[in-house]
Amino acid sequence: MNEKVMEGSHAISEAVRLCNVGVVSGFPITPQTHIIEAIAEHCSDGTMKAKYINVESEHSAMAAIVGASSAGTRAFTATSSHGLALMHELLHWAAGARLPIVMGEVNRALGPGWNIWTDQTDSLSQRDTGWIQLYCEDGQEALDTVIFGFRLAELVNLPVMVIIDAFLVSHTYEAVSVPTQDEVNEFLPAFNPRIKLDLENPQALNQMASPQYYMEMRKSMQLAMETVEDIYDEVEDEFHDTWGRRYGSVEGINLDADVVFVTSGTATTTCRLAIKDLTDKGESVGMLKIKMFRPFPAKGIQNALKNAGKVAVVDRNFSFGAGGIFAQEVKSSLCNLKDAPVVFNFIAGLGGRDITTDTFFEMYEKVNANDIPQTESEWIGINEQELK
Amino acid sequence: MEEIRFHGRGGQGTVLASISLAKAFFDSGYHVQTFPVFGVERRGAPVEAYLRIDSSEKILTKSNVYTPDHIVVMDSKLLGSIDVTKGLKKGGWILINAKDMPKDLSKFKGYKIALIDASNIALSNGLGTKTSPIINTAMLGAFAKMMNIPNIEFIEKAILDEVPVKRKENVQAARDAFAKVMFH
Amino acid sequence: MVSEKKGMKLENTVSLFISRSAHRSSEMNKTGSWRFSLPVYKDKTAPCSAACPTGTEIPRVEMHMSRGEVRKAWEKIIWENPFPAVCGRVCFHECEGACNRKNLDSAVGINSLEKFIGDIALSESYTFDEVEGTTNKRVAIIGAGPSGLSAAYFLSKLGFLCEVFEKESEAGGVMRWGIPSYRLPKNILLDEIKRIEELGIKIHCNRELSIDEFNNIKNEFDAVYLGCGLGASISPGFEGESLLEEGSIFLKRVESEKMSLDGQDIAVIGGGNTAIDVARSLIRTGAKATILYRRRKEDMPAFIHEISAAEDEGVKIVELVSPTCVKHKGEMLEIDLQEMTTGDIDSHGRMSVRPLGGKRSLIYNKIISGIGNQIKDTWHSPDQNNSKMELKNSIIDITGDTPLVYGGDLTNKNQSVSDAIASGKEIAIVLDLHFKGDSDIIDSLEKCRVGVNAISFEIYRGGRKQYKEFVEFKNVNIDYFDKEDRNELPQISKEESINSFNEVEKNYTFQMAANEALRCFNCGVCNDCDNCRVFCPDASIIIEDGKRVIKTDFCKGCGVCVTECPRSAMGMEEEKV
Repeated sequence: MNEKVMEGSHAISEAVRLCNVGVVSGFPITPQTHIIEAIAEHCSDGTMKAKYINVESEHSAMAAIVGASSAGTRAFTATSSHGLALMHELLHWAAGARLPIVMGEVNRALGPGWNIWTDQTDSLSQRDTGWIQLYCEDGQEALDTVIFGFRLAELVNLPVMVIIDAFLVSHTYEAVSVPTQDEVNEFLPAFNPRIKLDLENPQALNQMASPQYYMEMRKSMQLAMETVEDIYDEVEDEFHDTWGRRYGSVEGINLDADVVFVTSGTATTTCRLAIKDLTDKGESVGMLKIKMFRPFPAKGIQNALKNAGKVAVVDRNFSFGAGGIFAQEVKSSLCNLKDAPVVFNFIAGLGGRDITTDTFFEMYEKVNANDIPQTESEWIGINEQELK
Repeated sequence: MEEIRFHGRGGQGTVLASISLAKAFFDSGYHVQTFPVFGVERRGAPVEAYLRIDSSEKILTKSNVYTPDHIVVMDSKLLGSIDVTKGLKKGGWILINAKDMPKDLSKFKGYKIALIDASNIALSNGLGTKTSPIINTAMLGAFAKMMNIPNIEFIEKAILDEVPVKRKENVQAARDAFAKVMFH
Repeated sequence: MVSEKKGMKLENTVSLFISRSAHRSSEMNKTGSWRFSLPVYKDKTAPCSAACPTGTEIPRVEMHMSRGEVRKAWEKIIWENPFPAVCGRVCFHECEGACNRKNLDSAVGINSLEKFIGDIALSESYTFDEVEGTTNKRVAIIGAGPSGLSAAYFLSKLGFLCEVFEKESEAGGVMRWGIPSYRLPKNILLDEIKRIEELGIKIHCNRELSIDEFNNIKNEFDAVYLGCGLGASISPGFEGESLLEEGSIFLKRVESEKMSLDGQDIAVIGGGNTAIDVARSLIRTGAKATILYRRRKEDMPAFIHEISAAEDEGVKIVELVSPTCVKHKGEMLEIDLQEMTTGDIDSHGRMSVRPLGGKRSLIYNKIISGIGNQIKDTWHSPDQNNSKMELKNSIIDITGDTPLVYGGDLTNKNQSVSDAIASGKEIAIVLDLHFKGDSDIIDSLEKCRVGVNAISFEIYRGGRKQYKEFVEFKNVNIDYFDKEDRNELPQISKEESINSFNEVEKNYTFQMAANEALRCFNCGVCNDCDNCRVFCPDASIIIEDGKRVIKTDFCKGCGVCVTECPRSAMGMEEEKV
């Protein structure tokens, strides 16, 4: 086992190097910069054979990657926050063109106010672009997810966003087990797309589609999305066979408990500690981690939560005028379930505000204090004075 | 699990010190986690870094350190401007880079104090300049002596892995500090 | 279930439908169905080609030259003109006057480029392709001047057997005897004549024909071409005219004998090229030369650059004086001059002059008449009683057993080498059509027309397809052209010029020639710039076997290719329904 203490960003860079990526393009933005910086170094010192394309914006970075992927090259980029927002148009394009791109995305709040800390609203704002979204807790999971992310993307012809929290993963050093090149080569076959730009067989890709065809193209995307959960499981089976690790599209602990937290990202890790403490004190509390946000694993979530007493969804994000975004999705997946549990929604940790075990204890108390939620979503730790 | 908080100023290598220390602990068989507190990163501005170590279990928390077990103060001048002992658990170690013991020790009551003239050690090993000596590797040597962990060899290995230039001098600075650390 | 070899179990079988030009979705991109007009590649007529008496496809000549393809450039010229090195020196190059480029900066140096190409052809000993096949028809050609030799050249190309009868000791006509060697070095002319002769043409020199001989020849040959030029000088028509020396005779003497007229003061009467040639030759023999002209300098028919070169060399021009009398004054000659003034613009658009009243007399060692020439014998022009075809550059009389054709200076309004070449070409084609039994010679000839006056031999032979559509400056997309200074030919020093008969203008270097040729817009001629293909929004122009082909399945007729063609070598045609 080749374990190294490394930064979460560099775990992603390392995975990209191992995946024999052919083209990388990126534009620096805190807290993502370390990812492409390390890749650029690998490209320049020869430890990675990829072509690194310098560009003037994230929009161009994605355009370059779309081009590279269309030409049949495995391609990667990474971004964060405003960079991701700037890419928005091309995110639709990458998915619509059915390109198996993998992108590292570091969750960071959008300004104003200017804020470089973690917040999921940037990636969740891209939920309808047709990208698969996989949220990670730490560097190990990020590295693994990039590797099987390419495998998954290339099996379903959809792009994959591998998402980590700003600083709490991107700049945090922890032990990461790094696979060998031979292992990765065996797990991830050479990229051999079904459609690509080919000089021997010239054709235009992704040009105009009249009403006669457009709807079928979109239906085709959805059909591919519908296969993702199963193929993800199979890919994880293979991954597990090689490396002994698996994450699942969702992961549950003590799901029959009176209160089950629903979490994503690094809040999950802290939640693991919180429910351990509470369980040790005799409380009935469980946890459901959602790793895959798109496609949303509704069936898995129904199964996971059908026996829970109350569900408490923790959202480090917000959809203005509605509520926490994970909570909306969870509610919609439960709404047709007979005897569905009530769903509480807590908004916590926006813009990098710390989520600690105490945060979970506070939410736990609030859930226990009421049979049903008193508000659509409850914001934790708000200084009411500031709002006057 | 033990939590260590580093206090320093931008440019002193505080973050690198916590990363190197994490690697040394990892090589000693610990679970480790370290990350900087990011804010307005500027040379000279106060910075913090956190290190968590656990000899038995994977570290299950992704939040800031509020109640450190020990603290490392890279620059004694910070003692006047920052409440370095905030949340510090009683009985914890305070490692300070200073020539002399602070005159007023009343605010450090209940803590164990270790002192190292890391600036002097750095300069004598040719690390940095008089106005900004590179003291992080000396602090690591002093830390290893103060805590009795990790083994100084792991500190040396981490320095060789992590420090890009003047590796020999940095290792020597750690050794010098290991030998010269003073306890109150 | 996990297969033995990991990573090979799963296959990509998901639904994958995207818009692309291959397979099903390409149907929607057959934008050709939207089209109501179709772009076509059409080689149009450039103004230079239209202005050239020989109809040479100049844009393509320059296209080859710009690529350094001198041989191809030369081969293009000799389709229409067997005398590139001569014309590159003596042609009055109306092409340059018509050049579209002059609206941007200045005309392309077409004439100088022709000289460069012609000279390379001589120095590299390019030869004409041998003629394949023969008609067994024999044509007698009277006069080995530019029209006679051109007639022989084009007739030979058409398989006729030609014999040329020349009264002088050497072939060349006005090119040999009338144009001074500082403009046209003798070796250049002889080399180009020799190359024509090598086609198998017999030239009989020292054979001035009498009318009897002419009649015999008519019986002996299948056709006779009269291109013997104007053999008699025009009498100036004033008292004492016999004291004058005749200009063309003077020029011939200068060519054949070493003449020194050091310090002599000599007048030349006239304002045409002969007068200028005489005056500039006089300077070279050491004389002082004065041109006496009855109109203004700007009315002189001589080439403007020749006039200024003459003045530059020291020729004095006295304008608005009309000679009335020449008489001896001791050793010298005295000429009385009527002073003239300008009147109205005449019916030819030329300023008329009338006497002013004042008179003066000037004294010279010698006075030379450079007024011009006329037909020497009456049988040199067609029988007034016969019906004739009067063409642009020739007159055809096919009333008798033997067709008689007349051309060159005998028939041409413009008495120039280039027009003479046009005559030779025109009569060759007419005789070919005649002997082929063509029912409508005029119409067949029209099909080979370039511009207004010229006939293309290449079009006649099916080797060049050119639309009559004319490229004007407004049709050129000048976004593609930057202003560039014209490359002028270097000249020998003025001192060398006036002390010798050395050729005044030197030649381009290869690089200069290529650069100058690059200035050419190539009006109406595709030079493979590829703009059309690059700009086509539907990628409907492809290259097949080195040629651009418009795929009608995809061309929606937007016309971007036509707009972006820098040189108007394309056009839109309405779709045939």
